[in-house]
Amino acid sequence: MIEIKNLKASVDEKEILKGLNLSIGKGEVHAIMGPNGSGKSTLSYALSGKEGYNVSGEIKFNKKNLLELNTEERAQEGVFLALQYPTEIPGVFTKNFLRTSLNSIRKANGESELNAIEFLKILKEKSTELKIDDEMLARPLNVGFSGGEKKRNEILQMALLEPSFIIMDETDSGLDIDALKVVSNGVNSLRDPDRSFLIITHYQRLLNYIKPDFVHVLSDGKIVKTGDWKLALDLEKEGYGQFIN
Amino acid sequence: MENYENIKVNFDSFIQSLKSNADDIEFRKKSFNHFLTNGFPKAKDEEWKYSPLTKDLNKFLSVEFGKSTEQNFPEELKENYDHYPIIFIDGNLQLENVQENGLKIVKNEKFLKSVKKEGTNPVLNFTNAFADEGYLIEVEPNTIISKPIVVYNFYSKNFSSNFVSAKNFILINESSEITIFEKNIYNSDQEYLITSNTEVFLAKNSKLKKYNVNEENKHSTIFNFTKANLDEGSELEHFTFSKNINSCRDETIVNLNGKNSFASVSGIQSLLDNNNHEIKLIINHNEEFTESSQFIKSALHDSSTAAFQGKIFVDSQAQKTDGYQLSRALLLSDKARFFSKPELEIYADDVKCSHGSSSGSIDNESIFYLRSRGIDETDAKEMMIKGFLAEVIDKLKDDRFKKIFFSKLGHDSENV
Repeated sequence: MIEIKNLKASVDEKEILKGLNLSIGKGEVHAIMGPNGSGKSTLSYALSGKEGYNVSGEIKFNKKNLLELNTEERAQEGVFLALQYPTEIPGVFTKNFLRTSLNSIRKANGESELNAIEFLKILKEKSTELKIDDEMLARPLNVGFSGGEKKRNEILQMALLEPSFIIMDETDSGLDIDALKVVSNGVNSLRDPDRSFLIITHYQRLLNYIKPDFVHVLSDGKIVKTGDWKLALDLEKEGYGQFIN
Repeated sequence: MENYENIKVNFDSFIQSLKSNADDIEFRKKSFNHFLTNGFPKAKDEEWKYSPLTKDLNKFLSVEFGKSTEQNFPEELKENYDHYPIIFIDGNLQLENVQENGLKIVKNEKFLKSVKKEGTNPVLNFTNAFADEGYLIEVEPNTIISKPIVVYNFYSKNFSSNFVSAKNFILINESSEITIFEKNIYNSDQEYLITSNTEVFLAKNSKLKKYNVNEENKHSTIFNFTKANLDEGSELEHFTFSKNINSCRDETIVNLNGKNSFASVSGIQSLLDNNNHEIKLIINHNEEFTESSQFIKSALHDSSTAAFQGKIFVDSQAQKTDGYQLSRALLLSDKARFFSKPELEIYADDVKCSHGSSSGSIDNESIFYLRSRGIDETDAKEMMIKGFLAEVIDKLKDDRFKKIFFSKLGHDSENV
């Protein structure tokens, strides 16, 4: 369902992705691992349409080329990027943000917008599963949230928006074991035959909890090796040295 | 030098028409003469460097008082909760006196209780010379007034002169509490000058929440002066919501005269077109164990200009002072300008004072985050601006007014 062909991305004329090819089928979970500077974050931004990157190639998704869409249009198509460091936005209240987001996506897809009561019912359901209490939802977006709370909030957004392609950028960074479990359980409960995941991570640890169908090694802007989840174990043992020129 | 001959004539005929006592007349004359020595402030005066008034005041070298045929205040403009109204129509006070349950609201007759001391502020002297209306609010000791007072400053379409000036007096006696909401409503498109001088006295352990709204004004020049004196253990929360205001200077001086007194002075200013707004604050810590907070946020569109001058003064005997000041501005256009002048003047050695000031554009990372959740760029920016300003409102202590200000901002708060 996602077909990435010859994806190149550069910032300030420095090429970071150098012709990346990747195909992710419906319902599949792919992990991308790679050393620092290999282009992992750039890949997530190129997929989600962040400005400031010069991107070429093709990202086929739902018969559209994502590169022709801006950030919000991609999100409305069903692309979701879970950020490594979710941004703190003082004054924007979490609940209000969640409803605006959900309604923007519903509207773009020709669905009716939810009123406050309908929205709160869904929110209650999803937030309870993730052990997110009302107090947290009443706070400004991510402000004063712990690392774990921020990531749970990201998972809550996934659960609410129900995207069909989820990119997770170093979601495990800064999480203790307990938080990691909550986050992984959240992700696992969202696994679905119609939903694909691309998990970008530095360490193999997260993959103990979210078992991928495929593991790719990203090095110097290209995928240099592909295997099943055992490849992650090998990498953990032997490091990235063998892939770095 | 501007020609003040017309104003002199205006003043003489004003004084003759006044049926006041000798003290009052004497003070007005002194104030007027003081005003005349230097005239209206100029941009070269340090205290008025960033003030929009310096370019506008010279439009008013001849003044004419609140002439108006308007008698009625439109019911639909009234707040929809139980309150004590004080209504000014085109500067004329229409008041049903209140004297119940320890609360007194009357005309500030002859300004008997006002402090009669001329200062160095020319516009304040001008106001003291000319002010012809005003309210007086007094709360008896040990009285908690739960119903807020709402002051309506209404300018009707029938307003036909160019000057309105008021002098108000608020006295909250020991261990009493009240909330006052002052609302300016401009239905007139005339070019006029509005000045006000509000004196506030907070006795021991009393509390005042004073909230002001000043919005949607296209042509007038406004000067609001408030001076608050706080005794031991008293608390003041002063907040001003300014939106789309042509030309205005809000000046507030707070004297923390008693131990454990606390003042919070905050405001937001959201401006567009050629709006010009200045906030000037001085907090004087005159006694030990006093605490203050200044928090100002500005969102500046188009060619608007805003200025913030905030001072924390700490007297040599005001040990254990805690003074805080923060000003942040969002510049939403290349032509918008923000001037910030934080000042700390500290003569005590055991104090905690902090200040910060920043101005910049909307954070791109935040916009990206919102857009990546399907929110259009325009909506995302709007959310960011509202959220930025809402932070000041969120800190207010009064839930009812928090909601009122959030909705003025078009910002949903705790709910969705």
